[in-house]
Amino acid sequence: MIKDKLYQLDWFVPALVTVIGVVGVTMIFSSTGGVWTAGAQQHLIRLMLGFFLMVGIALIDIRVWMGAAYPAYLGALALLIGVEFFGVSVNGSQRWLDLGVTRIQPSEIMKLAVVMALARFYHDLPDRGVSGPFGIAGALLIIAMPVVLVMRQPDLGTSILIIAPGLILLFLSGVRWRIIGTGAVAAAIALPLFFTFGLKPYQRERVLTFLDPERDPTGASYHIIQSKIALGSGGVNGKGFMKGTQAQLDYVPENSTDFIFTVIGEEFGMTGGLALVVLYAILLSLCLYRAVQCKAVFSRLLIMGISATFALYIFINLAMVMGMAPVVGVPLPLVSYGGTVMLAVMAGFGLVLSAHLHRDQELPRGTGSLL
Amino acid sequence: MSADNDNVQTFARRTILLGIGGGAVFCGLAARMYHLQVRQAEDYRTLSENNRFNFRTVVPPRGRILDRNGVQLAGNRQDFRVVLIPERIDDLDATLLRISKHVPISPETDARIRKDISRNRKFTPVLIADHLSWEAFSAINLDLPDLPGVLPLSGETRDYPKDGTFSHIVGYVGTPSRRDIEKDKDSLLRQPTFQIGKTGVEQSADARLRGSAGRLKVEVNALGRVVREWPEAEDRARSGENVYLTLDSDLQAYAAEQFEDDSGGAALMDVQTGELRALLSMPLYDANKFVSGISQADLDKLYKDPKKPEYNKVLGGTYPPASTFKMVVAMAGLEAGVINPAEQIRCTGHTELGNRRFHCWKRRGHGPIDLHNSIKQSCDIYFYEVAQRIGMEKINDMGARMGLGQVHPLGIAGQSRGILPDNAWKQRRLGESWRTGDTFNASIGQGFVLATPLQLCVMAARIANGQKAVQPHLVIGDAVPDFEMMDINVGHLDLIRDAMYAVCEVPGGTAYRPGGMGIPKAQMAGKTGTGQVRGISAAERASGVIKNRDLPWKYRDHSLFVGYAPYQAPRFAASCIVEHGESGAGRAATIVRAMLGRALQSDGFDEAAAKNLLADL
Repeated sequence: MIKDKLYQLDWFVPALVTVIGVVGVTMIFSSTGGVWTAGAQQHLIRLMLGFFLMVGIALIDIRVWMGAAYPAYLGALALLIGVEFFGVSVNGSQRWLDLGVTRIQPSEIMKLAVVMALARFYHDLPDRGVSGPFGIAGALLIIAMPVVLVMRQPDLGTSILIIAPGLILLFLSGVRWRIIGTGAVAAAIALPLFFTFGLKPYQRERVLTFLDPERDPTGASYHIIQSKIALGSGGVNGKGFMKGTQAQLDYVPENSTDFIFTVIGEEFGMTGGLALVVLYAILLSLCLYRAVQCKAVFSRLLIMGISATFALYIFINLAMVMGMAPVVGVPLPLVSYGGTVMLAVMAGFGLVLSAHLHRDQELPRGTGSLL
Repeated sequence: MSADNDNVQTFARRTILLGIGGGAVFCGLAARMYHLQVRQAEDYRTLSENNRFNFRTVVPPRGRILDRNGVQLAGNRQDFRVVLIPERIDDLDATLLRISKHVPISPETDARIRKDISRNRKFTPVLIADHLSWEAFSAINLDLPDLPGVLPLSGETRDYPKDGTFSHIVGYVGTPSRRDIEKDKDSLLRQPTFQIGKTGVEQSADARLRGSAGRLKVEVNALGRVVREWPEAEDRARSGENVYLTLDSDLQAYAAEQFEDDSGGAALMDVQTGELRALLSMPLYDANKFVSGISQADLDKLYKDPKKPEYNKVLGGTYPPASTFKMVVAMAGLEAGVINPAEQIRCTGHTELGNRRFHCWKRRGHGPIDLHNSIKQSCDIYFYEVAQRIGMEKINDMGARMGLGQVHPLGIAGQSRGILPDNAWKQRRLGESWRTGDTFNASIGQGFVLATPLQLCVMAARIANGQKAVQPHLVIGDAVPDFEMMDINVGHLDLIRDAMYAVCEVPGGTAYRPGGMGIPKAQMAGKTGTGQVRGISAAERASGVIKNRDLPWKYRDHSLFVGYAPYQAPRFAASCIVEHGESGAGRAATIVRAMLGRALQSDGFDEAAAKNLLADL
């Protein structure tokens, strides 16, 4: 049984994920000055653990995951509330929850949980109810509850990574264009208000710095300027592995985590950067194709939601590193050093694989409810 | 089922739409990559190099200052320091405690160390103590295994070896002030341990002594820590030049010995070239103390000393020239034709001007006295008479030609002009008009006339030279202009010089000493001066002028002397003022005589040479 499933598993996805993860190990090794134990080793261990987690999740029947959707969502919500009361502050943001053995970031789990809950919600919703008041309100509520909690931490990056895939799932579920248009207009009006009243001063500063980098050349925009210098000086072919001066002399802060792309761009040039982007594009195209192959609404939306989240990680991170978006603290998935994100991404691909593996499984509709 | 199909189609359509959107975003990111890494690559490469490389200033060794014979007056000495590197220190308190066993660390130093640590990067060395003795330095070196993060260093510091004999002239170096740094854009001034000349030759020749900075290319990380040094320096540092002074350190030290504990100034120069062989201000002070940062206690001691050791008396001190001014008055009188050398003026010990009485130093008077004897015996009455005949203007004119009332620039800050007073000066200064009594006082070098020891030396040199208006100079290699001709009647000068000879070499002269300069048969010429620093009331005069020895030090007369030697063929001229040293015939004449003798000896002048001169006469 398990042997059959392993045989049927779509091995392209784990293979690509592993290749990208190894790129991460290599670049972390370089950015930490060639000290194997300063991060690269840890990243490799997490990659291997994540690999088994991914395959393990893939083998479990998709019905189990569908059944787990709402409990996972409610559990993640509880953890977020826990952060509100018992969270650990790092760099002025209260994002971590200390479980004694390890520290976790509930907001990372929440990204997956929101996608699962929305997929489940639309799965159970009759097709004609998608554009109805219950459909719209229910979906928005599922998105809004965690966002409010995450914004309090405060974490602008994660908020965007919850809202955007959520809205994409709304779009894919077939909400009418008229309603989408109305929503877009409403958002256009609300956004400036949100900017003024909804953001913390440091978040607002980051956005303003992004819009005008000369505002503060040594402070917030130092990061962006150094990042662009690293990328630009890499040129087409780069300075060579471990030879990037910006990386090796610590001019770009956070270059083993959020700014790891600068190390790739500096040491392997545009060639290296594009190669990585192409790897990501192939992985995402594959996921899109797998989504369309699925019969069940839950499976399709689950794959699309996870892929969208993954893609947004990449877009936001690259745009940020290349000076096209404000510094929001979004890692480059699978490449940036960081445990929770790695496991969340691996779990996500596990769900994608599970949905694809059980694509012919009949999933009953309308049996679940939000409450 | 059709609804379901619709939905599947919608999903597929919208997925494709999203896929296209995602593809577009990827293309946008790729375009941005192209923009940064291809089109702007060159600019960013430059910026990256700017980040990466830094230039570190290499400090050149400062040039030395030497005397005419190559004896070092200012040099560089190995200096031992200990620094600590904050990031390598585990327990600062324990480390400092341990170091304090070898070098005392005062509470102020302790506070300064902690402040430096908190203000700098953790890898920037912080000074614990400098100018350590070799013993303390080696003790710390032995203790190093127990002092992680402590670094003993040896560097160079300025050193003045001559016990302060040259402090006033050579000066000293110090840390540049904020104003120095604003004025002088040389990057060396911003180096942490760099010192510039603050006074004396150190200051005037600073540009030559300093040399020029080298630049060393270094690779630095984001925190400014040097990661690597590039082997070849971009610009090599150029060492400062050595500066040779015309001074003779042996003569200068000898002169200082003669002063013993007295204060004052003395100068000795070549009457032909103007080279200064000695330029001394007493008492001495140790310039080394200023280099390492003088303590407040030492500074207080220096400033509270009534003999003002820090004051450059030979260049900046102004004194009444007293009777040494009489040559100027006599030459002015001869030139004006108002006196005949054979004419005798009667000295009764005093003379009247209106209802004021002017005295001669000899209470009972010299009787009838001519020019020669009035200089030889320093009669005051004779000069009152001459002054009255010619007036102040002509006296001042001659004084200026002799080098008084003007700065002879040696490049050293703090040189005084002295004063040749006239009506305009008195009006400006005191708001009163000039009176004949003022001329009387001036004629014997008292009253408002003031001169520095250097000016008096120049005066003696010009009298000795007879033709050229010799100018003093101090640094070998400095351009010396051709001296102007003085245009003074040689016959007149011979009369003066003959009288000055009598002062020293003929019995009855005020400075006559058998045996003179210590070179048998060598002869000199000169003039004494006793500068009165207090007024003597009529009442005191009536009851007998109080003897100097009975007066407090600061009310005693200044002792002055100017002279030159050998008399027959002048070689050196010298001047000396001993503050409150009583009569000029005593302290100052003795010092000048000794200095001239020593200068001649070191020049190879001996008994045989002196005999030859006598034979020529």
